[in-house]
Amino acid sequence: MEHGLSQKAVEIARPFGFPVTNSMVVMWIVAIALILFAQNATRTMKQVPDGPQNLLEWLIEGLYRFLEGVIGHHLVERTFWFFGSVFIFILAANWFGLIPGVGSIGWGHVTAAGFQLDVPLFRGANADVNMTLAMALVFFACWIVWALQEIGLKGFFKELFAPKSESAGPMRVLMIVVFFAAGCLEVISILFRPVSLSFRLYGNIFAGETMLETMARVPHVGWLVQIPFYFLELLVGLVQALVFMLLTAVFTLLICQHHEEGPATAHD
Amino acid sequence: MNVLAVTVESSGGGRVEEIARTFGVDWPHLAAQVVSFSIVCALLYWFAYKPVLRMLEERRRQIAQGLANTEKINAALAAIETQRREIMTAARTEAARLIEEARGVARRVKEQETQRAVAAAEQLVLKAREAAAREHTRMLTELRGEVGRLVVTTAAAVTGKILTADDQRRLAEEAARQLT
Repeated sequence: MEHGLSQKAVEIARPFGFPVTNSMVVMWIVAIALILFAQNATRTMKQVPDGPQNLLEWLIEGLYRFLEGVIGHHLVERTFWFFGSVFIFILAANWFGLIPGVGSIGWGHVTAAGFQLDVPLFRGANADVNMTLAMALVFFACWIVWALQEIGLKGFFKELFAPKSESAGPMRVLMIVVFFAAGCLEVISILFRPVSLSFRLYGNIFAGETMLETMARVPHVGWLVQIPFYFLELLVGLVQALVFMLLTAVFTLLICQHHEEGPATAHD
Repeated sequence: MNVLAVTVESSGGGRVEEIARTFGVDWPHLAAQVVSFSIVCALLYWFAYKPVLRMLEERRRQIAQGLANTEKINAALAAIETQRREIMTAARTEAARLIEEARGVARRVKEQETQRAVAAAEQLVLKAREAAAREHTRMLTELRGEVGRLVVTTAAAVTGKILTADDQRRLAEEAARQLT
C-alpha cells in the first residue's frame, strides 16, 4: 500500500472497457462546469453586461488584451482560442483541486489508526501527467501548424538552421556549420518542450497537493496549519496557469515572429 | 503501450518506460485527455470566445461610431453657431437699417404735417383778416350813416330851421366825406 498521495491517477471505473481515472473525473467536471458557465453567460448577450456575462467578458477581454501585448494582434486573432482555453482550464482545474473533498473522499478501509483512504474519488486534473502532457501535445501540434501557416516549410527550416547574419567566404561556411549545430540543439529543445511544459505544471500541482496532505497529517492542528498553504496554492494555481499560457505563447511568437510584426508595432 | 517508451526506444527506453509507468502515462488515458481537452477548447470557442469577442468588437465599433457621430455633431454645432452669429449680425444690421429708415420716414411725415399745419394756420389767418376787413367796412358804412343823421339832426337843432331833403342829403354826404 502506497502512503501519501499517489504519483499517478488511480483508475476508479472501467465502463465499456475504457479505464476512467479519478483525475479524468475532475477534468470532466471542470470542463462541464466551464462550458455550462460559458453557455449561461452568453445565452442572452447584452450591450451592457451584468452577472456571468460581465465576468466572462472581463476574463476574456483581459486575457485577449494581455496576449495581444505579448504576441501581437495578428497572432492573437489566430491563436487565442488555444491560449485562452489553456489558461482558463488550468486555472479552473487547479482551484477546483483545492476544494475540500478532492483527494479526501473515496474508497478505503478502517484501520486501528482510523479510516485509510485507498482510492480517492477525485484527484486534481493537473496532478496527472496524462492531462498536462495532453495539453502540451495539443499545443505542440498547433505550434507546428501555426508555424507552417505563418512562415511555410522553407521558412520553418530556415528559421531553425539558416545563418542569421550576413557573411562571406570561409566565415560564411563556419557560420553555416555553427547555425546548423545550433539548429540541431534547437530541435532537441523543441522536442523536449512538451515534456518540460507537462512536468512543470504536474510537478507544481502535485507538490502542492502533497504538501497540503502532509500538513493535514499534523496531529490536532492539521486543519489550521493547512490554511496559509491553501492561499499559497491559490496563488500557485494562478501562476502556473499563467506560466503555461505565457510559455506556449512565447514559443509561438518565437517561431512566427519573422512574419508577425512585433507586439509593440502590432498595436498600431 | 507506453508513450514515452515508444518515443525513446533506442536509448534508455527502459528507463523512460519506467518513468512513464511511475507517472501513469499510457495511450488510452493520454488520448482521452487529448480528446477531452480539444473538446473543451472547441466548446469554449463556440460558447465563450466567439460570442464575447463578437460582442466586444460590436461594442468597439459602436463606441467608434459614437465618437465619430459626436465629432460630426460638434462640427454641425459649430457650423450652426457660426450661422447663428451671421444671422444675428445680419439681423442687427437690418434692424439698424429699418430703424434709420423709420426715423427718415418719421422726419418726412413730421415735415409734411408741419407744412400742412402752417398752411392751414395761414389759411385761417387770411380768412380772419378778410372777415375783419368786411366787418370794418360794414361798421364804417353804418358809422357814416349814423354820423350823417346826427349831423343833420344837430344842424337842424342849431339853425332852428327845417332842412329840406336836399339839404339833409348834402349834409350827410359832406359828413361822410369828412369821415373818410
